[in-house]
Amino acid sequence: MTNPIRLTSDSLELPGALEAIETYFEKGWSDGLPVVPPTPEAVTATLEAANLAPDAILGIEPVKGAVITAEKAAINAVMAGCKPEYMPVVVAAIEAITQPEFNLHGITVSTMGAAILLVVNGPITKQLEINSGVSVFGPGHRANATIGRAIRLIVMNVLGTRSNDGLDKGTLGHPGKYTWCIAENEDRLPWEPLHVTRGLNENDSSVTVFSGLSGTPFGEHEASDPEQILDAFAQRMYPLGPGVGETIIVICPEHAAHFEREGWDKKQVEQYLFKSARKTVAQWAEMGLPTGTRTGQAATPDNPDHVLNLLASPESVIPIVAGGDGGAWSMVIPNWGRGLGSKAVTRRIVTNG
Amino acid sequence: MAQETTIRVLDPTATQSIATDGMAERPGSLAGMRIGLLTNDKMNAANLLDAIFDVLAERFEVTSAYKINKGDASRPAEPDLLGDFSNEVDVALLANGD
Repeated sequence: MTNPIRLTSDSLELPGALEAIETYFEKGWSDGLPVVPPTPEAVTATLEAANLAPDAILGIEPVKGAVITAEKAAINAVMAGCKPEYMPVVVAAIEAITQPEFNLHGITVSTMGAAILLVVNGPITKQLEINSGVSVFGPGHRANATIGRAIRLIVMNVLGTRSNDGLDKGTLGHPGKYTWCIAENEDRLPWEPLHVTRGLNENDSSVTVFSGLSGTPFGEHEASDPEQILDAFAQRMYPLGPGVGETIIVICPEHAAHFEREGWDKKQVEQYLFKSARKTVAQWAEMGLPTGTRTGQAATPDNPDHVLNLLASPESVIPIVAGGDGGAWSMVIPNWGRGLGSKAVTRRIVTNG
Repeated sequence: MAQETTIRVLDPTATQSIATDGMAERPGSLAGMRIGLLTNDKMNAANLLDAIFDVLAERFEVTSAYKINKGDASRPAEPDLLGDFSNEVDVALLANGD
């Protein structure tokens, strides 16, 4: 049977898989870990799983105009270790990261060193076994590890944003630049899932991309009401300074249960944090944090008693629920550029079935 | 002919781009040139550019410094801003001064 998919990428003929792995190291095509050799057969299977023609354009990076074709995306997905059925998630993530408001170029080349966090929602999370529970940010789950890795390899190989010889100038880098993909723990939600908040239907599957700095986990084992838990979040967010934009708060299931018991919704979370997390100019100054126009505030107030909110707006906080049932450990994930230069983007995942 | 034991693998890199802009032609001399200083809003970028302009003014007969700030280090300058800039200058210097 004739294969209808015609791949056009240059190819290499090598003695075997181990030699291919070494060759990809030598050419700078890996992230420092071994890659799965992308054979034409594997790449074809990956394209077929997402019903894609090789020359389909999945995204164009807005600043450099770099084009991400389905073929190049599939090659990198295979290299990352993705199963073919993961490809629709990779496709939606590419669509999301190439939206202008995500500012992909800025967040991937910046000295600040953000990584791309993928949060997957909907029925596909269970179909693909994307971990949302115990050790949600940890290793051991193929879908999490390889979908996130595929996006990083695409950024490195297709967009040329590498740290060893390319445009990535992160001062410290970020471990999430190897891979950073989770599912929201929809079994433990006190409210609607993230993709519904962001305008999709409950039966949709989606990926939301977020330019995250390293997360700050914290234990709050005594608090049993939502206000106390959110106060604990605020304590970890104050170092971001006043007027901070989009920031993810990862609420663990044990904390989420308290919100559910009290019947809270996301709007209440947003409003409570926006209104209660605030300090005077003098208090911000004591923390060594600037106020004024560079923080997104309208003007620099002279009055030391003038109060500035932690959050730029109630919508600045993006709550997600993730993690295992045991332990009252939640996390703040700050955004690149204080949340003012990159917006989270959500895209629906389109599958053949 | 390839041996049965060989493996064929694909190049993951790409250079396909829709960008059409190239580099401007370099002038043969700076004499009489209008110098543009384009800062990216980083706190030391303007200082660096001013210092470089002072050196150029000492060594060459450059005529003026036209300064603009693109206002966001992580995004390209707005086309209108660049249009005005290009009308006012012959040579542009850019700096990223964290």
